[in-house]
Amino acid sequence: MSLAARHLEENGIATVVMGCAKDIVEYCGVPRFLFSDFPLGNAAGRPKDPDSQAFTLELALWVLEAAPAPRTTVQSPLRWNEDPAWKLDYSNIDRLSAEEIQRRRQEFDRQKEIAKTVREAPPAAG
Amino acid sequence: MTGHEQDLGFAPEHDAPIPYMHRIREYYQTLGYGTPYRWAHYAEVPFQPLKKPLAECRVTLITTAAPYQPGKGDQGPGAPYNAAAKFYRVYSSDTALDHDLRISHVAIDRAHTTAEDSNTYFPLPLLRRCAAVGRIGAVAPSFHGMPTNRSQRATIERDCPELLARCRADGADAAILVAN
Repeated sequence: MSLAARHLEENGIATVVMGCAKDIVEYCGVPRFLFSDFPLGNAAGRPKDPDSQAFTLELALWVLEAAPAPRTTVQSPLRWNEDPAWKLDYSNIDRLSAEEIQRRRQEFDRQKEIAKTVREAPPAAG
Repeated sequence: MTGHEQDLGFAPEHDAPIPYMHRIREYYQTLGYGTPYRWAHYAEVPFQPLKKPLAECRVTLITTAAPYQPGKGDQGPGAPYNAAAKFYRVYSSDTALDHDLRISHVAIDRAHTTAEDSNTYFPLPLLRRCAAVGRIGAVAPSFHGMPTNRSQRATIERDCPELLARCRADGADAAILVAN
């Protein structure tokens, strides 16, 4: 998504990225970024919480309008949970047993094979 | 944490944005995949200020979500990662209609979210309301789906130009890109 934002921007279309992976987006470098410190999959707000979603989109529009320079990041003040312990879980190898690592290795190989099949299939119309 | 630090009101050390690049690198190295993924990285960043007030701009929405595909396995809510639901070509659909988009093909945080509410990753209904109240000029006629392709070359050389052409065809002045 960061690459797409850069390409549109280079060609005259102003962009804002809404995202939850701060380091990855900033490492790429985008013109405007609204960062929500939420689990991946919630860049547009909290589930079943219309106020959170409306607030998040409004912040993104505001960043689109008001960013003074490229690499402008605004962090949403919303919290996923008062307890930040959720941040310790994602892809945290230190929290996985040897058996779980083995299971995930097999699952990763299986999914990679599936993805290869999808990619090599003839493209759908349109 | 010492008593002195508690007095200063500091947050816990891990209460900071997740270091995804570090985590993912270590994760796959431990799983046995030697060559670490190289994330896209640029020193220069383009910048195009809005050419007119947002209330006069035609805004498009760009998503990595995929249309629900019957017969392609569990796509949620709460689905495990499902590579069969991936797509590899930019797609576009009518923003005036409602859509059933899913993110089972993306590495979202499955321990802490289920993707039960598409408004958390595809805010089209809300964007239409922004247009209705005049916050933006209009929603562009189409939204666009960007493939989550591991090949950055395919993204840069094929998908980005295709996306630009589609945004231009719609007369979009600005784009909101929602990452997953």
